[in-house]
Amino acid sequence: MTEVSIERLTKTFGSARAVDGISIRIADGEFISLLGPSGCGKTTTLKMIAGFEEASEGAIRFDGKDVVNVPAEKRDIGMVFQNYALFPHMTVDQNLAFGLEMRKIAKPEMRSRIAEVLDMVQLGGYSDRYPNQLSGGQQQRVALARALVIEPKILLLDEPLANLDAKLREEMRVFIRDLQRRVGITTVYVTHDQAEAMTMSDRVVVMFGGRIAQIGPPSDIYERPENLEVAQFVGQVNLIKGTIAGAAGPGKSRVACVFGDVTVDSRTDHTPGAAVTLSLRPEAIELKPAGQGGAQGKVTARYYSGSIIDYRIALDSGETLHVQTFPNIRIAEGDRVSVHAPADGFWLLGAAK
Amino acid sequence: MTPMRRKGLGPLILIAPAAVLLGVFLVLPYLNIVVMSFRMPGQGTPYGPGYTIGNYTKFFADSFYLLQVANTLWIGLVTTAICLVVGFPVAWQLARGAMRFRALAYGLVLSPLLVGIVIRSYGWTILLGNAGLINRMLTGMGLIDRPLPLMYNALGIVIALVHVFLPFMILPIMAAIQGVDPSLESAARSLGASRFTAFRRIVLPLCTPGIQAGCILVFVLSLSAYVTPSLIGGLRVKTMAVTVVDALIDTFQWPWGSALALMLSATGALCVVIFARLTRMKWKVARP
Repeated sequence: MTEVSIERLTKTFGSARAVDGISIRIADGEFISLLGPSGCGKTTTLKMIAGFEEASEGAIRFDGKDVVNVPAEKRDIGMVFQNYALFPHMTVDQNLAFGLEMRKIAKPEMRSRIAEVLDMVQLGGYSDRYPNQLSGGQQQRVALARALVIEPKILLLDEPLANLDAKLREEMRVFIRDLQRRVGITTVYVTHDQAEAMTMSDRVVVMFGGRIAQIGPPSDIYERPENLEVAQFVGQVNLIKGTIAGAAGPGKSRVACVFGDVTVDSRTDHTPGAAVTLSLRPEAIELKPAGQGGAQGKVTARYYSGSIIDYRIALDSGETLHVQTFPNIRIAEGDRVSVHAPADGFWLLGAAK
Repeated sequence: MTPMRRKGLGPLILIAPAAVLLGVFLVLPYLNIVVMSFRMPGQGTPYGPGYTIGNYTKFFADSFYLLQVANTLWIGLVTTAICLVVGFPVAWQLARGAMRFRALAYGLVLSPLLVGIVIRSYGWTILLGNAGLINRMLTGMGLIDRPLPLMYNALGIVIALVHVFLPFMILPIMAAIQGVDPSLESAARSLGASRFTAFRRIVLPLCTPGIQAGCILVFVLSLSAYVTPSLIGGLRVKTMAVTVVDALIDTFQWPWGSALALMLSATGALCVVIFARLTRMKWKVARP
């Protein structure tokens, strides 16, 4: 299979730098997500890997071979588009055969490969349907099958689930992830949906303004965000103001904040007294009845959503907190509460680059 | 359960004005022409008493008229083909080109339609004549000794017709191309198709309806064009439309003119049907 190496890749449109010197090494068989808000350069990056967009600078290597000057049709990629891009005048069978015909695969092998892949995406028996006779989810799976049947070096997916409804989207996440594991193909997945990126990927590349803000496994991105921007983009987060109180052993700092002194990994060379921001995820916080220690506050709003309950807490010290709990504790709006945050729930945010 | 659509007079009332207009001013005159084509020729009157099929036997017996029909069809065919070849790239640019270019090009494409057809055709006589601008320029540059025959022949008619009818080719094709999702080409290329193959296998079949519409429009308009062929062709080259008008107005033979007009319509319609069959889409997209 294929290892992809992107080196100082840049795309300029006039004076704007849509992609600004990014480097990523993608291991053979790895599932990488490019995550970021619209306009962050993730789709442009994908298009450059696919060959639909010319790189202004930098290199894209498939197994060490630079493909920057190779046209899209010669790169041997499988691509799935946001709107599926199925050929409307061809049946499912003809859609799948297209790539094989381009590769001049013999008819009998073509038949067996199409049958095999259709089986894999659970669409056996649909080969004579036209795309508009299929549901959105089925079209998505045909698009996936069409990309996989040519046995490409890498699989590229451009927000493939954006047009599906919520329930189907969650099913397809798991489906695509399982399929990718089974086939073992190197995959680059573009999305603006952080939950999607986290459930599916081996590693997530968070991008802002054409640059990489952070690369890492989903748990790192979520629990140890590089900076404020990443922390805010990936899930909900409370930002707690604090000041460095001093060192607390090797690589640790003590930070004074509304929850008292907390110990966090020191990530920058802070001198005591420096103002810092801590992140605290809503689900890390624990609520107890008033008067049981911790910070004191009042529930200003409560949103019940089945598996979890969201609270807005106004602390007596003035801060507002967002808290998520399981529904096993019931606290009403207007109740006074004690707010506890576990020591390992805090994370010291670096300054945005 | 979907609610039953209320059936009433609503739709009928809405199409009534168009139906009346077409009925009174198209269908009735047409029937009148059909009847007229079976009238006896008149002596000093437009038509005589009684009925005959003589106008048609005369038409089929005289190779002059058959040849003229063939000539008219040929001019229509060549005009259509040139419009398609010239118009398609323009339609493509209009549909897919840069925004800034698009507004300007759209204006340029439509601009011929803003000038009357008589004026446009007259303009071509100034350009194409023996003492016209083109010939004077070429002789002036020493490229030719004698003026090129650009007028009073089929070439001149085709040149002028292409100019006049090009927008009718471009606009439907442009609309069709706009309806083809650009990501389909990307998909085809990701599957290993060259730009050309992606165009031939994906884009072209999908914009066939627009090409069909454009070709039929230009072809039919070319067959029935009168002003341009009569101004450019003069007395030397006559298309059927010109001959029909001659018969009806100059020589005052209404039955003969009607028969000629109907033969022109019939052959034109036949060509359109054959063309539609040949370019019939091999795929039908069933509605779910």
